[in-house]
Amino acid sequence: MSGLEAIVGAGLAPYLALILFGFLPSEIWRVLGVVLSRGLDERSEILVFVRAVATTLLAAVVAKLLVFPSGALALVPLAARLGAVAFGLGAFYLARRSLVAGVLAGEVFLVAAATIALDAP
Amino acid sequence: MAEGETPAQAATHRLVLRGVRDALVLPAWVVGFALVGVGSLAQDVGHPLGAAMLSTLLIWAGPAQVVFYGSLAAGVALPLIAAAICLSSIRFLPMTIALMPLLRRPGQGLLAQIAIAHYIAVTVWVESLRRLPRMPAEERLPYYLGFANACLLTTTALTGVGWFLSGTLPAPLASGLLFITPVYFTLALAAGARTAVDVTAIVLGFALAPAFGYLVGRDFDLLLTGLVGGTIAYLVGRARRRRGA
Repeated sequence: MSGLEAIVGAGLAPYLALILFGFLPSEIWRVLGVVLSRGLDERSEILVFVRAVATTLLAAVVAKLLVFPSGALALVPLAARLGAVAFGLGAFYLARRSLVAGVLAGEVFLVAAATIALDAP
Repeated sequence: MAEGETPAQAATHRLVLRGVRDALVLPAWVVGFALVGVGSLAQDVGHPLGAAMLSTLLIWAGPAQVVFYGSLAAGVALPLIAAAICLSSIRFLPMTIALMPLLRRPGQGLLAQIAIAHYIAVTVWVESLRRLPRMPAEERLPYYLGFANACLLTTTALTGVGWFLSGTLPAPLASGLLFITPVYFTLALAAGARTAVDVTAIVLGFALAPAFGYLVGRDFDLLLTGLVGGTIAYLVGRARRRRGA
């Protein structure tokens, strides 16, 4: 296998699958958002509602990632996943709302808990 | 100022660079490392490096990319994968509607606006909504494009790194990488929350999503959570404003 082939692959199938079944079904929402937001003023009342829906959806995505995780994260117990988020939030506020401190603290907690959980018989 | 540059161009370049710099302080790395795992998943299903990196450039949505490669690995049929991704990315609709009025300028064509909206993903959205309203309208777009491109390109590169790392990461570290998205989203939401609407929306999103996940299954739970929780949060905010007025 040549170097180039290792990078781009042997066929178009992965790229076609990516564009048709990954990119388009996701991008359609952004395009629809552009169309629907035409003519909206940044101070309009409807935007308060739309922003509330978007914020709720983001929190919902987080909750789903935590409660129904995929891959290696599923090996860590639920209590440890929730505990790590709470720990990160605590560090965030203690460090005067520093995102770096919060993310690092949450990560350290999670990786430590994962190490213990995965070592246990 | 570079040679042959007008003062207006120089000002635009400064704004782009400020966006790049602000992104590289933290947000670009957070979203970048969060997608290292996507590169590994792509390698696991036998996709080439180019496709893995292109998935970040095109889809630009960590959860959707995880669904895409995770479902391929599980042997799910392609049309079903497309449906799952469509449902998982529905958040982009309200996110785009909320952000575009801040970035729209006179004379922008539809294609230009679609290109601008393509960068919208959680990191870019949360940070833009926090920073852009305070800036003069004409300064927002160059800053946004600098910020968003820095995030997208850093993440594309780190997706490639993940492709090479596939199978070499110990499980605790792999779970740590997957944990970046939820912990960063949570903190970014907390950092961006200013009003009663924001706080109510965040709490309801957290509480309702697992409940609807169990009640109606994991396909339409996000849609329901967004509509029900978002409406309640909006009404709470309006009631408070009425009382204050």
